[in-house]
Amino acid sequence: MLNKKQKVSDEIPSSSMADIAFLLLIFFLVTTVFPKDRGLPIVLPEAQDEVEVSQRNILHIDIMPNGTVQLRRGDSQNTSTVSPRDIEGIWRIEVAQNPNLIAAVKTHPDAQHRYMIQVLDGLQMAGAERIALQMLEG
Amino acid sequence: MAISGGGFQRKSKASDQIPSSSLADIAFLLLIFFMVTTVFRKETERNIEWPDAAATQQIDEKRQNIMYVWVEQSGQVFINDRPVAMSDVSSLVAPAWAESGRRLRISLRADARVPYRYIDAVQQEIKDAGAIYVVFATDLERQMQRVRR
Repeated sequence: MLNKKQKVSDEIPSSSMADIAFLLLIFFLVTTVFPKDRGLPIVLPEAQDEVEVSQRNILHIDIMPNGTVQLRRGDSQNTSTVSPRDIEGIWRIEVAQNPNLIAAVKTHPDAQHRYMIQVLDGLQMAGAERIALQMLEG
Repeated sequence: MAISGGGFQRKSKASDQIPSSSLADIAFLLLIFFMVTTVFRKETERNIEWPDAAATQQIDEKRQNIMYVWVEQSGQVFINDRPVAMSDVSSLVAPAWAESGRRLRISLRADARVPYRYIDAVQQEIKDAGAIYVVFATDLERQMQRVRR
């Protein structure tokens, strides 16, 4: 009779456990995202650099307390009322006609912060860089 | 010829391998140690509703150069867990701005429902302090959500 000797160990190999643990450690180190360190960046103008801008290069974006947006080009008197959702498309069209365009966002003091964010979001999605934030007077 | 061991046959019972079975325990111990000692944030979360924005991006700056300014729905401003009067904001921002070497980012964590007059006042205060980098903290809005609304 042949004596067959079993060579396979009947224990769970524990030498690779350390590798598994370190792999987990590194995985969680890499994938951890600190929440809320994000948002819409904007650079405020410094006190000294006030520059005159031609009205032709300004797009007035007035945000009303109910969240609607009134658009007016700097050199015209016509206003049009739009939704904040349309700002992105409008900006793309406007900036194609005038690359020097500046967005003058004026928000009503009673308008909620979220409406200003919606407009700012639309502008930034459309790649706008020259944005001025002001409060609507009167 | 010298006989090693003085002629005695010494049989060592100690293994010549580094014991690897406890390595896993060490790794897990480290894991748990770092989990326990990690301090996530120095200040507590205020109860605010985040505005959504699809253009949300990560702040590309070290955490120590980020200053958090919270604005609650009532318009009350909080910095470092303490309520701050609107007129005192600039006096708190100015030293931090100088200390950071003009790199300070202000993360403006304002409630989505706060009236804009408070946001404008905070911006004025930040401007008066000389700081120019402001980030409006938002939640990333997925395109899917936008379509549904």
